[in-house]
Amino acid sequence: MPEPIALPSRREAIARARARGQRVAAVLPIHAPRALLTACNVHSVEVWGPPGVDPEIGASHFQAYTCAIVRNATSFLLAGHLDDHDAVLIPHTCDAMQGMASVLVDFVRPKMPVLTLYLPRGRRASDETYLVAELRRLGRDLTALSGVAPTDEALHAALDREAAADDAVAGLWRDRAGLALSDRAFFTLLRTREFLDAEAFVEVARTAPRGERKQRGIPVMLSGIAPEPMEIFDALDEAGAHVVADDLAGVSRRIYPRVEEPDPFRRLARSLLGAAPDPTLGQPIPERVAMVRRRMEESGARGIVVYNPKFCEPELFYLPLLAKGLAEAGLPLLHVEHEMTESLGAQTRTRIEAFVETLRGAQ
Amino acid sequence: MTPSATLSYLLNYELLGKGVLRVQRWRDERKLRAHHGKPDDPLNPPLVRTARMKELMSRHYLEGRYANGVKKVAWVTSGAPIEVLRALDFVLIYPENHAALCGARKKAVDLSVEAENAGYSRDICSYARTDIGAMLSGRTPVGRLPKPDLLVACTNICQTVLYWYRVLAAHFDVPLIVIDTPFLYQAASDHQVAFVKQQLEEAIPVIERVAGRSLSWRRLRGVAERSKTAAELWLEIMDRARNRPAPMTAFDGFINMGPIVDLRGEPETIVFYRELLAELDARIKKGVGAIKRERKRVLWDNLPIWHQIGHLSRTLGRRGVNVVVSTYTYAWGELAPMMDASRPLDTAARVYLHPILNRSTGDKLRTMEKMVKDFALDGVILHSDRSCKPYSLGQIDQRDRLVHERGVPALLLEADHNDPRAYAVEQGDARLEAFMEMMESAN
Ligand code: SF4
Ligand code: SF4
Repeated sequence: MPEPIALPSRREAIARARARGQRVAAVLPIHAPRALLTACNVHSVEVWGPPGVDPEIGASHFQAYTCAIVRNATSFLLAGHLDDHDAVLIPHTCDAMQGMASVLVDFVRPKMPVLTLYLPRGRRASDETYLVAELRRLGRDLTALSGVAPTDEALHAALDREAAADDAVAGLWRDRAGLALSDRAFFTLLRTREFLDAEAFVEVARTAPRGERKQRGIPVMLSGIAPEPMEIFDALDEAGAHVVADDLAGVSRRIYPRVEEPDPFRRLARSLLGAAPDPTLGQPIPERVAMVRRRMEESGARGIVVYNPKFCEPELFYLPLLAKGLAEAGLPLLHVEHEMTESLGAQTRTRIEAFVETLRGAQ
Repeated sequence: MTPSATLSYLLNYELLGKGVLRVQRWRDERKLRAHHGKPDDPLNPPLVRTARMKELMSRHYLEGRYANGVKKVAWVTSGAPIEVLRALDFVLIYPENHAALCGARKKAVDLSVEAENAGYSRDICSYARTDIGAMLSGRTPVGRLPKPDLLVACTNICQTVLYWYRVLAAHFDVPLIVIDTPFLYQAASDHQVAFVKQQLEEAIPVIERVAGRSLSWRRLRGVAERSKTAAELWLEIMDRARNRPAPMTAFDGFINMGPIVDLRGEPETIVFYRELLAELDARIKKGVGAIKRERKRVLWDNLPIWHQIGHLSRTLGRRGVNVVVSTYTYAWGELAPMMDASRPLDTAARVYLHPILNRSTGDKLRTMEKMVKDFALDGVILHSDRSCKPYSLGQIDQRDRLVHERGVPALLLEADHNDPRAYAVEQGDARLEAFMEMMESAN
């Protein structure tokens, strides 16, 4: 059960942004230049699915073999839940997200503008040059929306604030053992980063309840796209496991490196290009395996649960070699797919129990 | 270059192989010329030039079989800018084409299962599964695929190829060149074109390093010129289907597109397509259609269902329905007018940004609408391909627009281009039947 921890809600975050005179953009997964939006006086509120909407509404645009993030997000939008947003920003995360953006732009045509961003898939000089130009282009679109052009000072300041918020995420993980939060509550807190501005998130992180940790058991790492539905934490808890590190696209894969660079657009581009190895960015598989393995070893995780919506091609392609690479280090992997409905199925819970049991047996 | 590999290459490919395949082609041509078909076959005899295509493609795979140790080998995606590689004499292997070949020869499931057993999900593209299965098992209907010295993945068809080639790069431990082509939600902007051009410039030294020699710009222009000529010919071939009755079907197009994909830039490709064009013109002159009784003309959208080509062409043909053209085959010709061989890199940057799969869903709808008009079509079959998300997402809206705004009967046919386990034949036939009735009643 979620425990009572007072956190600001999405609605409050949007109201506060409005009170500050900001525009509000719904931002789809995964990598988006939050600092650029802020510098253009646009507040970003992320949409990861969500569960709990009627996916049938999205089915009038997308086939059943489309991932639930795209189907649910489309349903969410069509059901009017984004009507109070001024724009939708869709980064080109994968073929599915590309399809969603294109269908919204060409056919659905919601009342708010749909903005797009193509993130390059390499880390070469050409990628950086391109991304700088692409971010400037997006900056112009955002300026058209808000009337505020991003000055160098404003963008640098926004980048500093985002870096501080990234540090806060890393800090929460560092202090995890001393936080009196269950995994579910801990991730609920981490996920406020999806809708809070950077300063508000830093404050939430600073005031996280300290004390004895509420969950104990077999340490595991959680990977995948997003911890949604959050019943995964209850299932892990019931099975006797707890999460000691994450490699979720929505959380730790978005802790970007700090970059020193006088041109703020270049600084932003370098920071985004420096993201941890992520299948949606098409980075080499051995790099990803090495990174996950290192993080598991550092955190003491004994196994990894990869938690994905069904039909997530980028994740599916990287999984076999990730599992193999980790197995070589004696680190088992469990892949759990879900439809992003309200709750986890009984079969999934049983698989999680069996996995944790195996880890316990290997102790 | 090792002496034994060179000897084997010369003997098995240059001397024996080419000769045997030539004789085989003569035999096939003779058989095709003599083929009159059964009276109840709805299709007219197949195109004789198909035998030439078979020879070219077999030769291509045969050369690949003996290439390691003699020539450098690159595995490339179907939309990759290959002109520089060709100018540096690489043997090019197209895993997608190889997977299609496995599909057409009903070998795809066995190979996919190999990949699935290694952990690759049934929800990923069936081309990738087929090929990963071939890579892991070493089994292939073409005898043997050469190991790559270099991999080139271009994202202008999908992001899937990037993940797939990351798997290949990890397996073979060879360099991977990524040519990343931003998706065109709108018209291409200068920074997008400049990005592709800069990547091509960055790729050249890497390719030269693997090739062990420098690029000759004169040769590159020659290859680019031949690519353009072949693409123009292919476009003409597709456009011949505007005739009524159409001298070819989209299924003929699927079968004969191998050289424009795999052998772009080779002189033989031009010779082949000139001959094919002449055969089509002869058919047109005689008023011979690809099917005996063409009553309805249809557009095919998306990849073919490789494992059902024969069944579908006959099922439709029996009702007088000719699938005359497809967005997929047309894609290999429609960009020919953009090509300018005198500026190979600038042109490549622009051309390789613009394949249909890299253009918006609205643009694809406009392309289909234009084809419906230009080819005087009565309906559209949109193959909703669970394996190919970039081609398929958007089809529900495209179909709705065609039906409700243009009054064009359109069917969404759920299948998988390479995995027959994801296609229910009876259900598919029933849906096609209903679609054909809908077309009948539309007039
Ligand atoms: S990354 Fe995966 S889950 Fe996210 S939108 Fe793409 S396919 Fe869906
Ligand atoms: S996803 Fe589609 S475009 Fe990409 S390789 Fe597979 S079939 Fe081809």
